[in-house]
Amino acid sequence: MTNRLEDVLENSGMAVDIVPVEGELNVGPQHPGSGHMRILVKLNGDIIEDVDLDVGYVHRAVEKLGENRNYMHLIPLVERPAILDSIHMNLGYVMAVEKIINVDVPERAQYLRSFAAEVNRIASHLYGLGILGIFLGHSTAFMWGFGDREVWVHILEMLTGARVTNSYIIPGGVRRDLTPAIIEETKKAITYMRKKLEDWKKIFLYNPTIRARLENVGVMTKEKAIEWGAVGPNLRASGVYYDVRKIEPYAAYPKLDFEIPVYKEGDGYARTMVRFEEVEQSLRMLEQIIKEIPEGNILSDRFFKQIPPTRLKKWWEGYRRIVLPGYYASFRPPKGEAVTRVEAARGELLYYLVSDGSAKPYRLRMVTPSYRLINVMRNLAKGSRFADLVSIYGSLDYFPPEADR
Amino acid sequence: MDKVKEYKKANPFKLFGDHVQAIGTGIKYFVRPQRITLKYPEEALSLPSGYRGLIRLYKDVCIGCTLCAMVCPADAMKMVTQEGKKLPTINYGRCVFCGFCVDICPVDALKETGVHDAAFTNRRDLVFYPDKFNKSYDEPPTERVVKKVKAVVDEKRGIKYVPDE
Amino acid sequence: MDILGLLRFYILYPSFFVTVIFPGLVFTLLLLLVTIWFERKAAARVQMRIGPYYASKRLGGILQLVADAVKFVFSEIIIPNEVNPTLYALAPVLMVIASFLPIAVIPLSVIPPSGSVFSIYFKDFYDPDINAGVIAGLFVNYNLLLVLAIESVYPIFVVLLAWSTNNRFAVVGAVRETYLSVSYDVILLMSTLAMALEYHTLDIAKIVSYGIPGIVANPLAAFLFFVAMLMGSSRFPFDISEAETELVIGPYTEYSGFLFVLTMAGSYVGNFIYALVFADVFLWGWYPLSGFPGLVLTVLKAVIVLFFATFMRSVYARYRVDQALRGSWKYLLPLAFASLILGMVVGYVWIR
Repeated sequence: MTNRLEDVLENSGMAVDIVPVEGELNVGPQHPGSGHMRILVKLNGDIIEDVDLDVGYVHRAVEKLGENRNYMHLIPLVERPAILDSIHMNLGYVMAVEKIINVDVPERAQYLRSFAAEVNRIASHLYGLGILGIFLGHSTAFMWGFGDREVWVHILEMLTGARVTNSYIIPGGVRRDLTPAIIEETKKAITYMRKKLEDWKKIFLYNPTIRARLENVGVMTKEKAIEWGAVGPNLRASGVYYDVRKIEPYAAYPKLDFEIPVYKEGDGYARTMVRFEEVEQSLRMLEQIIKEIPEGNILSDRFFKQIPPTRLKKWWEGYRRIVLPGYYASFRPPKGEAVTRVEAARGELLYYLVSDGSAKPYRLRMVTPSYRLINVMRNLAKGSRFADLVSIYGSLDYFPPEADR
Repeated sequence: MDKVKEYKKANPFKLFGDHVQAIGTGIKYFVRPQRITLKYPEEALSLPSGYRGLIRLYKDVCIGCTLCAMVCPADAMKMVTQEGKKLPTINYGRCVFCGFCVDICPVDALKETGVHDAAFTNRRDLVFYPDKFNKSYDEPPTERVVKKVKAVVDEKRGIKYVPDE
Repeated sequence: MDILGLLRFYILYPSFFVTVIFPGLVFTLLLLLVTIWFERKAAARVQMRIGPYYASKRLGGILQLVADAVKFVFSEIIIPNEVNPTLYALAPVLMVIASFLPIAVIPLSVIPPSGSVFSIYFKDFYDPDINAGVIAGLFVNYNLLLVLAIESVYPIFVVLLAWSTNNRFAVVGAVRETYLSVSYDVILLMSTLAMALEYHTLDIAKIVSYGIPGIVANPLAAFLFFVAMLMGSSRFPFDISEAETELVIGPYTEYSGFLFVLTMAGSYVGNFIYALVFADVFLWGWYPLSGFPGLVLTVLKAVIVLFFATFMRSVYARYRVDQALRGSWKYLLPLAFASLILGMVVGYVWIR
């Protein structure tokens, strides 16, 4: 159609010269839509020819620091890269340590890990949706995302004692037990969230402006998604059934009944839909956990027996809290290496931990989901419109500190 | 394996309805707002029990075993010798409030206070030597009456603040 | 005539009163503050927040805007290195003037022959079409056309402003504004033309005095005018030229201090002018009142329209520029033709 029109114009002597307008825009790091990085955008008119993601603006050398701290010291450190997703960051690392020191985790602790992880997943998805909202100019989604996240942060606060830097999971178990008061609050929060999600859909998900900005934007086919190494909700939105919770279950996931939302389209809207449905699935899982959680210890017997009896009486029987035996202050695991995978809110998070028998790890490798998105985002942005840069960015839920580590 | 889903693409006729729905929801919240802002100086949040706030030391109980300094991930806790006794000192400029020191103390000489809103005028004040560390850092504001509230989850409003006794 | 009477005569003289006092410069300045306050408060209500509050607790924080204004006025104006300082400082001023100028020709109320404070000007502002005086800065027979003609100059000054700041984000924003202006101006003119055909006149005063509100006579044109108004004054969901997360603040990126206030005021003032036209043409203007109460009624309706337009911020995201263009050329333009036909039919059948 357009070719014919151009031919007609040319034959009739009315050909229009389309002069390419090229230029570079330097988006960030001090820019409302760049996050903690610089995006060098090469534009041709309104079309992006190439983007260069200049990452590393919030690099904190977690991997290198990991070689100079002992195993317990790393627990608060590894959750820093993605502070809004700290339970998952923590869980993967602790699972790796557990593999090396070869300790079994009691059933109740496994359920509690899943509980905290799912609460954190909801909070993280709401955060991501909020950021997507403000990127598209929808300030209500931004405020709602952060406001409704507060509910889940509150539950985490009650459970773990801190809002975001939870440091909740320790080798061998978890630090605090689920009390009836928390269960009550969680039940209320589930009811509230279910109701609020309906309004979320009306004002955000089904909003025609949002649909227009996300549908057919940043389309990633199944093949491309696998080739570029996308993970998590972004991969599932491209029609690939891949979730570590199902493929290689950990914590209490083998016993929980949940679905993995998979969408075919692979565009920004499908990614947003996947996040919405994951929130719904997480709510379902929380209900199951509350109902099915078994009684018992929350720390492996091997460490539990080391706690002085007087303290055990005061803390475990009084406050349902585990206190740390002296073992944790500086333990030396046997030589060995471990690889663990967990499904963090943004996708598969991989830890590779090498122990050389000393108190400090020989090597800590951390492959975060956002790290893999750098390549995906760069490829998706090519050929899209300049205004789509932010909707691709937001719909991928790319989180610069997590990528930079 | 779950099935691969597809969403319905927007059709122009439903579009108008969606616009009306979105504006309707906006107006619904405009008429009946659901606010969760805390009016901070007038209302202060009391933190839930077990909150990992500022830490205090019981000097007499401490046995100087240095476990807290060893487990501290941020090197905030250091041991100083005072009158022949080893005592911990904390630097809040480094502390990450992980609470490991409190949990590992074999004699419960450290305690988490529920206070988190502390401000200091200079960096030297951030270091708490054993004498200062020995006291509960909780100075209630004296100039204005502060209403203590605590956050609870509400089924209708999300977070709700109820007066804390 | 004593000195007080003389003073009263000159102050109430419509050309002065309308353009300077109400709803002119003084009122618009106040309205600007109230509108931005409302925008922030309304968004806050929807968004689980409170909004401006502590600056004046009893007044709902409205003094926050005064504080903001004072802060802006007294903050330093930074002029970038490689710009022409004269043009740089002049462009926002010209822009605000261009967006404000149409207020001089919009009829805002009628003057009855006697019984109103404005009755003494009856003869000077006599409109033969409706057989009454008209409160307007300058009365012309073709005021409906003139308002839109003057207001459509506004985007040109936005482009001038962006060009003179020598910033890439500003230039991209200006290009977007240019694209948008060619699309919304057409819709705006078509919908007003539909009303003109329907009421057989280009005089706003006559449209109002027919006694049938335009929104009943031609709802399609009212809808189109409202959407075009949102586009023309950069309200959500057409906040495309200033898209914050994409272009920082679009054409106004380099401005600071008082000049920034002017750039921000431009779109609000433009919106107010469109809202005044909307209130007159579609919402029955001052009817059934006249004189000063009629003037207040018209402005009140316009303010409600303006508030509703700013409320859109809390509901919508922004469209992409190509989507806004496609929407306006593909969907709204046919609707505009339909409204034109509707206007002709209704004008022939119902309104004589």
